[in-house]
Amino acid sequence: MAAPTRSEALSLLRSLLRTARHFCDYNIREYTKRRALDGFRHNRNLSDPPSISSAYADGKAQLEVAKRQSAVYSLYAPKVKSIMEAHRTN
Amino acid sequence: MALRAAVLRHLRVPVQFFALARRECQPPLCSGGSLRLFSSHDDHLTKDEVIERVLSVIRCHPKVDPSKVSPDVHFQKDLGLDSLDTVEIVMALEEEFKLEIPDKEADKIDSCDLAIEYVYNHPMAS
Repeated sequence: MAAPTRSEALSLLRSLLRTARHFCDYNIREYTKRRALDGFRHNRNLSDPPSISSAYADGKAQLEVAKRQSAVYSLYAPKVKSIMEAHRTN
Repeated sequence: MALRAAVLRHLRVPVQFFALARRECQPPLCSGGSLRLFSSHDDHLTKDEVIERVLSVIRCHPKVDPSKVSPDVHFQKDLGLDSLDTVEIVMALEEEFKLEIPDKEADKIDSCDLAIEYVYNHPMAS
């Protein structure tokens, strides 16, 4: 597999952040955002194509996991909002 | 039979009366009144409001020095951000203005004035 371009990588990050928004639980939502950004920062200096490709494939797999889990967790949404988002609800 | 006719006569009068009365009370919907249904442009954001909110989103980013933020800064040249921070800021703008910015457009937004321009010209920004 050819190494992904810069815009493909950024687009993967965007998809991860968009999926993160869908989690009902504040903690999981913020964790997913943080984890996506930390993962991209951790790998920002990768230069050889095979490791870039494998990091990209890993991110794609994580995106699928996040999408599936946001759907599953939406069935078990917390009844009470986190204190951290209390100011946003009104 | 006589009873039925009497009842019908009594029923019909008020119904006609209501129908007429209702037609007179309704405001004309499409004839130049101030009420414009399905129009999203009446509550469009003003330029100043857009600038203020865009700047406050950028100031809230942890890596940005709030004193350096002005309407014409470039994210990477002036604020020292990288492309990942730029993605983060554009996503924060999406949330602030309740937009969905497609990847192609989001790639182009790399400075404050481009962001302001994009949000201001977006019909759904709120």
